[in-house]
Amino acid sequence: MNFNKFLQILIAILFCVLIPLGVEAVVLYLEPSQGQYQLGDTFIAEARIDTEEECINTVEANLSFSQDVLRAVDFSQGNSILTIWVKPPEINQELGLISFVGGIPGGYCGALPGEPGEPTLLGRIALRAIDETDTKQNTKPHEKIAKLQFLDSSQVLLNDGLGTPAKLTRKGAVFTILAEKLEVPKEEWQEELKKDNIPPEPFEIEIQQDPAIFEGKYFIIFSTTDKQTGIDYYEIKEGKRNWKRVTSPYLLEDQDLKSIIKVKAVDKAGNERIAEYTPEILKKPFPYWIIIIIILVLVIVGWIIYKIIRKR
Amino acid sequence: MMKKWLILVPIFLVSDVAILLVFNLNSAPAQAGVSVTAHISAICGNNIKEEGEQCDGTDLGVQTCVGLGYVGGTLGCYANCTFNTSGCTTGGGGGGAAPPTAVTKVVIQGKAYPLSSVTVLQDGKIITTTIADSQANFKVEITNITAGTWTFGIWAEDKEGRRSLTFSFTTSVTSGMTTTISGIFLPPTIEIDKTLVQKGETLNILGITAPQSEVSVFVSSPEIIEKTKAGTDGLWFHPFDTTPLEEGSHSTRAKATSPEGLLSTFSQTLAFSVGRELVTALCPKGDLNKDKKVNLVDFSILLYWWGRYHACADQNQDGIVNLRDFSIMLYWWTG
Repeated sequence: MNFNKFLQILIAILFCVLIPLGVEAVVLYLEPSQGQYQLGDTFIAEARIDTEEECINTVEANLSFSQDVLRAVDFSQGNSILTIWVKPPEINQELGLISFVGGIPGGYCGALPGEPGEPTLLGRIALRAIDETDTKQNTKPHEKIAKLQFLDSSQVLLNDGLGTPAKLTRKGAVFTILAEKLEVPKEEWQEELKKDNIPPEPFEIEIQQDPAIFEGKYFIIFSTTDKQTGIDYYEIKEGKRNWKRVTSPYLLEDQDLKSIIKVKAVDKAGNERIAEYTPEILKKPFPYWIIIIIILVLVIVGWIIYKIIRKR
Repeated sequence: MMKKWLILVPIFLVSDVAILLVFNLNSAPAQAGVSVTAHISAICGNNIKEEGEQCDGTDLGVQTCVGLGYVGGTLGCYANCTFNTSGCTTGGGGGGAAPPTAVTKVVIQGKAYPLSSVTVLQDGKIITTTIADSQANFKVEITNITAGTWTFGIWAEDKEGRRSLTFSFTTSVTSGMTTTISGIFLPPTIEIDKTLVQKGETLNILGITAPQSEVSVFVSSPEIIEKTKAGTDGLWFHPFDTTPLEEGSHSTRAKATSPEGLLSTFSQTLAFSVGRELVTALCPKGDLNKDKKVNLVDFSILLYWWGRYHACADQNQDGIVNLRDFSIMLYWWTG
C-alpha cells in the first residue's frame, strides 16, 4: 500500500471519528421515521426531541409535509413535554405546513436515570394518506413517497437564562403510500380518540389587572393540560352570555366583575372540564338583617301613625 | 510524487481529535443536565424490588415469613410495595389489615436548605409547599395524579428570603404505580454584598445550602473556581479577591456537593462590575408585573407584547418581544 492510499484510509477513519464528535446537538426527530401505509389510512407520526444532555426550555417547530399525498388531520398536545404554548399547533394544509411554539418552565434536561418511559414527546400528528394528484389529474392511483420534515426555521433554546439557540439536528420521516386501498382503512387517530374518556386536568381561573396590558382592564388567565389526546379548545361563559371560544389571556366583557365566569377546556375526544369563578360580590351572603331592620322600622312607623290617628 | 505538506494532514486531524475528545470530556459534566444526581429510584408496581421498597409484586428480596418473626406461611406483597403478612402463620391466631389499593403516586425527595420552604410545581403550577428538616431533607408525595408525562419543578427559599432557581424534571407517571424520584439537591442560594467593586477589593459571596456541603464558587470571565465549605447551619461564605479581574462586567454562580455525594445544579448567576457601574434591567428575571413571582400572569403580559417592543417584556433588550424573552422567563419560572 503506498502512502497516498494509507493517507486516504487514515483521513476516512478520522472523518468517521470526527463527525460524531462534531455533531453532538439537540435532535428533533420523527417517530416512526419511515413506514408503509395504504391509501385512506390515518396514522400517527410523533414529533420528538433528544436533548443530548443539554438543558432546553423552548421549542419552535416548523414542519413541512407532502400535501398532495398527506392530509394533516389533527395535532395532539397530549402527553407533550411542552406545557406552556406560545403558539398552539397550527396546520396549513394548502402550504403543507405545521408549526408550534411551546416551552417547559424550569427547563428540560432529558430523561432521568431509571426513567421507564420516554418523556421526549413534543406532539403527535395525525396524517391521512390521500390521492389528491391522482384525483386532479384523473390518473390511476400509484405508489407514492410522502415526506414529513422539520424545516430549518425550527429552533430550540437552551435553559441558560439568555435564550441561547441550541445546536440543532433535524431528522425527517419518509412514508411509502401504496396505491391499494384497504376495505377498512387504518384509523389510528380515531382509535386514540375512542380510548380517551378522561377529561382535561382540573384548573383555575385567575382574574388579573395590569397596567401593561389591555389598558389596565380586567382580564383572566387559565391553562390546563390533557394527558391523553390533548386540549382542543377553551370556551368562556360570562354570566348569561353565550359560550364562545377564547384563548388565554382573555379581556373580560364584564369589567364590573359581577358575572360568574365559566371556562370550559375541551380535549380532542370531546371530554370537558369546567372551571368556575364567582365574583366576591356574589359570594357574600344576602344581608337579611337589612330586611329585618326595614320591617321593624315599618312596624314602628305604622304603630306611631296608628296611635296618632286613634288620638284624633 | 508525494507532496511533503500532506504529512501535516494526519497530524492536524489527530490533534483535532485529541482536542475534541478533551473538550467533550471536560465540558460535558459542566452542563446542568449531566451533573445532577437526581434519579428515579423506585417504581412500585414493576415487579422489581428497588430502593425504599420492602417488596414489589413477586419480588420479595430474600425476605420470608420466618425472617419477619412468624412461624411459617407464605409472604406476600401489597400493591404499595409493603409486605403482606396475612399468609404468615403465628403460634396463636391473628388477623390482617385490609390490603391497600394501588394508587398512582409520585414521591419526590432530596435536599434543599435547613428549615427552608420548598415549593413544588406540576406542569408549571404550584401544587404544594413543604418545609425541609434541619438537615435540609425534604419529601413530598403527590397523589391523585393522572398517568402520563408530567414536568415537576422544585424551588426553595432560605431563611434569609433568597430563592433558588427551579430544578425541573420530566417523568412518565404510570397508572397504579408509585414513582419515586430521589437524589435531588437544589442549587445553593447566592448573594453578593455589592454589585460594584474596585479592582483588588474583596467581593463577599454568600448563601445557604445543605449543612457541611462543599460549595464551588465560579467567577467569570475568565472563569475562576474557588471552593468553600458550608457550616452546620448550611451557611456558606466566600470572600473573593477581585485582583485577577479586568475592569468591566463579571458574574458569579455556585454549585454544591453534599456530604452524601449529591450534586446540585448551578445557582442563579449574579452580575457585578469591576470599576464601573452596572446597567440593571428594568424588569429583571422575567418578573414583568413585579410581584416577585414568575408565572402565567407574566407569560400573559409577554404574549400581549409578542412581536412588539415593550421595555419590560423585552428581557434581552434586543428591541422585540420574542422567543428569547420567553426562554429567559421560563428559566426564572417560580409558578
